[in-house]
Amino acid sequence: MPRDLSVEIASHRDLGGGNHLLEVEAAPLARETAPGQFFMIGFPGADTLLRRPFSVCGLPGTFDGSSRSAVHVLYKVVGRGTEHLASRKPGSPLSILGPLGRGFDLELGAGTEALLVAGGIGSAPFPALAAALGARGIRCTLLYGARSASDLPLLDWFRARAPEVIVTTEDGSAGTRGLVTDPLRERLARGGNVRILACGPNPMLREVAAIAREASVPCEVSLEARMACGFGVCLGCVVPTRRGEGGETAYERVCVEGPVMPAEKLAW
Amino acid sequence: MVTPDLSVRLGSLRLRNPVLTASGTFGYGLEFLPFLSLEEIGGIVVKGLSPKPRKGNPPERIVETPSGMLNAIGLQNVGVDAFLAEKLPELRRHDTAVVANVFGETIPEYVEVCAKLDAAEGIAAIELNVSCPNVEAGGMAFGADAASLARVTRACRDATRLPLWVKLSPNVTDIRETARAAEAEGADAVSLVNTYVGMVVDVERRRPVLANGCGGLSGPAIRPLAVWATWQVSRAVAIPVVGMGGIASGRDAVEFLLAGASAVQVGTASFVHPDASVRIAREIGSWLAGHGLASVREIVGTLRTGKEERR
Repeated sequence: MPRDLSVEIASHRDLGGGNHLLEVEAAPLARETAPGQFFMIGFPGADTLLRRPFSVCGLPGTFDGSSRSAVHVLYKVVGRGTEHLASRKPGSPLSILGPLGRGFDLELGAGTEALLVAGGIGSAPFPALAAALGARGIRCTLLYGARSASDLPLLDWFRARAPEVIVTTEDGSAGTRGLVTDPLRERLARGGNVRILACGPNPMLREVAAIAREASVPCEVSLEARMACGFGVCLGCVVPTRRGEGGETAYERVCVEGPVMPAEKLAW
Repeated sequence: MVTPDLSVRLGSLRLRNPVLTASGTFGYGLEFLPFLSLEEIGGIVVKGLSPKPRKGNPPERIVETPSGMLNAIGLQNVGVDAFLAEKLPELRRHDTAVVANVFGETIPEYVEVCAKLDAAEGIAAIELNVSCPNVEAGGMAFGADAASLARVTRACRDATRLPLWVKLSPNVTDIRETARAAEAEGADAVSLVNTYVGMVVDVERRRPVLANGCGGLSGPAIRPLAVWATWQVSRAVAIPVVGMGGIASGRDAVEFLLAGASAVQVGTASFVHPDASVRIAREIGSWLAGHGLASVREIVGTLRTGKEERR
């Protein structure tokens, strides 16, 4: 059940490239949030009106040295809300509503390997996810693509915690030059019992979903959308979905039916 | 200090306090149960109900604007039958006034929904949506001029004995004309304002941000416009006025009450703070207590402009 809490920023790190890692102490959220779920964060005193949605990045145990009541959010400055948030120092008040939405399916079954596919700041939900899957004994491989080396936040964390990390950049400044879908195709060609969990810009997600469908590999995607409320009433964040193959399309809410959805459900 | 009496009367309908939640910002009410008790507000106005479920507009549907937001949802809703079968029985377990907002593309569609609601148990009033700016047919098309508003109001008046409210569009030359037309055709109250039509442009793509092109502006940005409309209409008609537009605090609500509203609706504020409506009701009580007033009804329409005295 979601709650609306008043919290203070516990720590706030500039990771470069416009990326920031925010930590707040919020015991109920630390206890109840699942990987892939999100929070609506408000900035009291700011001149923005609406809260902004952020995926949970870290839960207790994800990052070393954080408390049992800490939750982390990884974000990139993309507009007025995140620009304002980036200026806030530890101790600054925030309002936080959550946990919200549907997270990743963690019941992958024994012997299944998780392929986490991230595009830039789309890596945000993956630290908490990788930690949860790791705790269940599931092997995770991260395929991490971005425009440039500065767009790969928390790469060191992933290298230390995930068994395998494959990096691609469009300008070749880190890893292999190219798109993250290239190593994904190669990895799927090797076969095996795998499942894809992807988060990133929509064009990337569409391509990942198409590759997964061709290879008959199950795929979940975590979506991003403009939201006013985050709990299902404004109907502002919808995406087109399909019920069954060739079925009728409808609009479903990213905030309630998502943000994590089975890729085959999306009509894009 | 005596606790002020917050109850208000809109014609035959009594509300425990003057705060309702605005249609389209409160879902079917049930979504808010984690955040508030429906027993602490005067009532709720549910998302606009059409004869059949509506899919709504393609995304993008919303964008933030200075002190407000623009939306073009397109009245996505489950339809009146699913509301009556699935939502209303749950809502009836809570002691609050349920006002059903009604939308149709044609007058017979409005009448069909009104008749179904009239036959149901547990509806406190009907609010006609003749002011949605985001649909191709119906909605604002009916509220844009007094003659068409009169026709749809009369048809619905003949289809139900429930209290009938007409929600007015501010996108008209003189909102008093549509308010008078609603009154003349049997409306029990008018509610105002719905959103103001606006547009936000993505200058890089040279396209409107919203897929619909334009959308309806809400939030604190429109509050002074809405207070003015409330003041004008409350002096033009004898039926009760329900005021809304950017109310985010008890003081904001008191502005509307002074300007002549007998009750208010809280809209966009519920997106930001799900319990905003309950807080606003409490703040109205505190304001009245702080001014030594015994009842909210004492302040309705008591705005002094100074002009009267000079005359």
